[in-house]
Amino acid sequence: MPAWISGRITDHGDRPQLPPARCRHLAALHHRSRAGPLVFLSGVTAQLGADPVRTFEHALGLWALRFLCLGLAITPLRDLAGINLIAYRRALGPARLLLCAGAFRRLPDARPRTDPVVDRRRHTQAALYHAGHGRADHADPLALTSNRWSIRKLGPRWTTLHKLAYPILLAAVLHYVLSIKSITLEPVFYLTVVTLLLGYRLVRPFIMERKRARKKAGTMATASGGKA
Amino acid sequence: MPGQTGLFQALKWPYVEGLRLDEARHPLTILATGLYDETLPNQNGAPLRLVVPWKYGFKGIKSIVKITLTENEPPCTWKMSAPSEYGFYANVNPEVDHPRWSQATERRIGEANGLFGGARMNTLPFNGYANEVASLYAGMDLRANY
Repeated sequence: MPAWISGRITDHGDRPQLPPARCRHLAALHHRSRAGPLVFLSGVTAQLGADPVRTFEHALGLWALRFLCLGLAITPLRDLAGINLIAYRRALGPARLLLCAGAFRRLPDARPRTDPVVDRRRHTQAALYHAGHGRADHADPLALTSNRWSIRKLGPRWTTLHKLAYPILLAAVLHYVLSIKSITLEPVFYLTVVTLLLGYRLVRPFIMERKRARKKAGTMATASGGKA
Repeated sequence: MPGQTGLFQALKWPYVEGLRLDEARHPLTILATGLYDETLPNQNGAPLRLVVPWKYGFKGIKSIVKITLTENEPPCTWKMSAPSEYGFYANVNPEVDHPRWSQATERRIGEANGLFGGARMNTLPFNGYANEVASLYAGMDLRANY
């Protein structure tokens, strides 16, 4: 019979590490200033910690997810809170493109030392996890058509094309949740946000219908009140 | 201990890990009290941290407060948390993938600075220590005992 030995700790152990706040702020700055790829630059100059490639991919991926959420939060804000930010929605598209491209195009792996067979396996396994990579590719047409010229050119097809944002967001959040080791408060938060944003699309027709009905009743009441 | 209570904990605390006695007594296995000739800092697992170089990092339990000799296979935190993803042995094995990602390649930390530093390379069985430790697992199915 084999003998075993075991240890026990009370410290944090090997908790999964999130990218440091500093890097996330850099990514935010990167977008807001539109001054160029600051995160990339900080990576090149070794400012991203022990594993810069990983920090780079994670920071940009997370910001891509956030911008996808922001894009889909604009309609509920307008419907429910009366805050109209629709003018800014299209601007979120190119920002996402920048982030997705950086996060998933794997610039840093330009000179791999792995053999092609292993590489293929790495890229073909775990379909759900890789949903995120597919998401990045699908987000490109959205980002590239987020401008007036495309809206004119595509006409009604533009709206249909941009409905892709829903499956893309779903794939993105799945990718995020599946690529971390365990479910903590942060993924639960993003899952909740995405569920609310997508769930709202399901109930929106009813909410709008009721709003219209109430408005109509209101106008009729005013009209009849005027008559009396 | 702060960070180990409340909703949505990453793991069930306290952290527990185990080794087979022959693994624990192998000359490559060390209980570290220091790092780069300095006293082990808290974040690296002071006062005592296990280092098993041919296994995945989560076997290297930090800040050990209790060690027990047991007759049966002891519980391990990650195995308890996700038995289909983490096994008792956790030997570095490029042939056995984590269900959600491949473990066939790696990027070595510290090989060079910045984004164009270390490129991905193939992960070696037993993290490159096959000559030293493969014999410990002779005759075992390492796909079943991951």
